[in-house]
Amino acid sequence: MIAADLVIEKGVTARDEWITVPAERVRDAMAALKADGYRLLVFLTCVDHLVDSSREFPARYEIVYQLRDMEKIANLRVRAFVGGDSPRIDSVHDIFPTANWDERETYDLFGIVFAGHPGLTRILMPDDWVGHPLRRDYPVGGEVVEFSQEHQIWQTAPDEA
Amino acid sequence: MATINSPGVTVTRTGEKGAFGGELLTVNFGPHHPSTHGVLRLIVDLDGEQIKRVQPVIGYLHTGIEKQMEALRWQQGVVVTDRHDYLSPPINNLAYALAVEKLMGVEVPPRAQVLRVIMSELTRLSSHLVWMGTSGLELGAMSMLMYCFRERDLIMDLNEEISGFRMHTSYIRPGGVMADATPRFLEMLDKFVREMPGHIDEYEDLLTMNPIWRARTIGIGRLQAEDAKVLGASGPMIRGSGVAWDLRKSVPYSGYESYDFEIAVSNDCDCYGRYLVRVKEMREAVKILRQALDRLPDGPVNVDDRKMLPPPREELETSMEAVIHHFKLFTEGYSVPPGDVYVAVESGRGENGCYIVSDGTHKPRRVKFRSASFVNLQALERMSLNHMVADMIAIIGTADAVLGDCDR
Repeated sequence: MIAADLVIEKGVTARDEWITVPAERVRDAMAALKADGYRLLVFLTCVDHLVDSSREFPARYEIVYQLRDMEKIANLRVRAFVGGDSPRIDSVHDIFPTANWDERETYDLFGIVFAGHPGLTRILMPDDWVGHPLRRDYPVGGEVVEFSQEHQIWQTAPDEA
Repeated sequence: MATINSPGVTVTRTGEKGAFGGELLTVNFGPHHPSTHGVLRLIVDLDGEQIKRVQPVIGYLHTGIEKQMEALRWQQGVVVTDRHDYLSPPINNLAYALAVEKLMGVEVPPRAQVLRVIMSELTRLSSHLVWMGTSGLELGAMSMLMYCFRERDLIMDLNEEISGFRMHTSYIRPGGVMADATPRFLEMLDKFVREMPGHIDEYEDLLTMNPIWRARTIGIGRLQAEDAKVLGASGPMIRGSGVAWDLRKSVPYSGYESYDFEIAVSNDCDCYGRYLVRVKEMREAVKILRQALDRLPDGPVNVDDRKMLPPPREELETSMEAVIHHFKLFTEGYSVPPGDVYVAVESGRGENGCYIVSDGTHKPRRVKFRSASFVNLQALERMSLNHMVADMIAIIGTADAVLGDCDR
């Protein structure tokens, strides 16, 4: 059983069960939940709550872990809130191997740093991309289209390759 | 140790020796190669011809679908969902529609439920046909492509008849479906369902006992049940490893619990097992289509909610209320109560989920697609270790990753 002090809040939204755990103890909580039978991490993502007045949020970024117990067919969503200019949370890639790419994607698109991840690099955007596109303050449009008239810098392989 | 920076990826050479004393050779595989099913790039470390390490590089087909969804109203988003897994648009629509409906607490009428099942199963068939045709082509069975695309074209015709579009149908929408099935559609579907089992027999004649096909797939790309579960594989990937996990049975949606069908499972755990699972799934899909066609009830195909769906055209001429609803829906759209919800459906590739977060406005705060290809590709290294380079083609093929789905 997950220890009571690891659960800050629990509830049900539209028949989906969820709990909120403290961000600094997310590894303890995930390990406890895995021992409880939630052995599959369905997905991991982040929600940016910048200027969302519909509800109260403890911090700007909400890291969402969707867990599943395939034997009992139960789903549980785990939330952890992180904030600040350089949001950080511990990686869970060794508890749930599927988290590896999901954490890279969340880092790529939201700029969340997963401490302890073995290779936290961009996965969907190019390696030299500036900014984290799924943040709410990142504008849509305006990027120079590669290989167009405006795109003058042709990418060539570096000398040593 | 030498580091090489090629565009988009950093490769580290360790100077490690292979079993025969030679150095490991790092080879780039893709992204523009026909057998990568899109634009998948693999950086493969080879010892002679044996694969020692595989590093998939994805993102070449990243189109920012999740970002675009945030700029569109709830009903507009459907059009974008069509385009991430471009081989199964109606199933993507279904995941999104079910998520929006779950958050709004809306239940669609029975006729719409059955039409959704019909479209889902047609899509599963068409997706498996593309898979079978292209995988056959890659492993030397060139005629498979012709046969499979012949029947896929019939499904495209059905799509066109019911929605006006051959590929990106946008047919399943929050609140119901786009339009009712025409009598011609039902006739065409009936003919299709009668003929399809014979066609599946034809494919099996060509592949199941084909010595080349068997030599290329049996014992290749092994993925044990425990590994498949730990790595989060879903769809034919996990069922080909002997785990009877199908969301249509375990977490039924759209009335799947009332259809009589079996979960296709194979205990082979290899590429051949995944092939058998897909063939069986095609047969089960035809079975479901037949049942759906026989039970198709009469009635509306959309929820009767003027706040969510526009009023019928004829009402606009007589009712001021209808005009207001119509105007509001097409200028502002509807809003979804604040909250978040996750819904998963079984696509041809596995668990295709949609996680939506609403802040109570007429546009989503966040839409996340949980794509089966993204997760299944993580199992690629486990499956291809110590195999030959040529087997890599069979392994990528039977993993059936759609890169549009993977990169979104």
